[in-house]
Amino acid sequence: MRSDLLTNVLSELNGASADIEASAVISTDGLMMAAQLPSGLDEDRVGAMGAAMLSLGDRTAQELSRGKLEQVLIKGDSGYVLMTHAGSEAVLSVLAKSEARLGLIFLDVKRAAESIAKLV
Amino acid sequence: MENKIDFEQLAHETRILTGFTNAHETLLIEAAPDITPHLVHVTEAFYKILHTLPKAQPFLDGRLEALKKAHLNWLESLFTGPFDADFAQGMYHVGMVHVRVKLPVEFMQGAGTLILSELISVAKEVYRDDAQRQADIIRAINGVIGFSVTIMQESYQASSLAEELDKFLAITGMSRTLFNNLALAYEN
Repeated sequence: MRSDLLTNVLSELNGASADIEASAVISTDGLMMAAQLPSGLDEDRVGAMGAAMLSLGDRTAQELSRGKLEQVLIKGDSGYVLMTHAGSEAVLSVLAKSEARLGLIFLDVKRAAESIAKLV
Repeated sequence: MENKIDFEQLAHETRILTGFTNAHETLLIEAAPDITPHLVHVTEAFYKILHTLPKAQPFLDGRLEALKKAHLNWLESLFTGPFDADFAQGMYHVGMVHVRVKLPVEFMQGAGTLILSELISVAKEVYRDDAQRQADIIRAINGVIGFSVTIMQESYQASSLAEELDKFLAITGMSRTLFNNLALAYEN
């Protein structure tokens, strides 16, 4: 039931922008809670890696006096990975195209993270 | 970590690896009345050598007598057996304690060689009139020291890795569960 609701949020997020290629909700322990991923991506790896990156981001922000972490953004030549907390128990991870307009995506992701936080 | 280990298996494998046989075990137990009276001198000789190393001083200061007592107890156990799962667990624990006090691994390896050398001297003296017995006992001593040091070394490596992992988790802020899930995701 909760998984369906989370999947709905992800579907809505993926539909909000053609630049978003995939998204997933992950527990802070790195387990996949819901996902809208293309085939070929290993859910376990996406989950564990996303949570690990966010954990490291949290610590980096803290160590370098950047305040509370809002998001971790990774840019590769084939696109972006964006990770953000969705409440205290979950992580929202989004894959976006390299030409994505990040400002709009940040807004959509923020809204989705707030919705997810209410569900987890 | 310690309670996840099959010490029966560890003892069995280490016996094979170090060539420490049941016959050696029997020989050591038979030799106990002859060798045991000399063990206090082995302990004294060992710590005398350690005293010449400045790097060893922090590990000796203020606890020399307790260390000597534990050392002597261990030496005596080499001639009583049984060299079973409980013995392996005891040796494993000693290795972990050495990591906890941050004893360099080379100290443990070097100590094994020093003690072996001292025990060989004792065996040579005690069985000077029986060359065959002398050779058999020396082989048995070599086996039991190898058996003990190999188990301690294994625990040393495992404990050192565990310490490094703890540091890594503390630095990155990752929980152990997250690390385990990450490791599982990349297991194959």
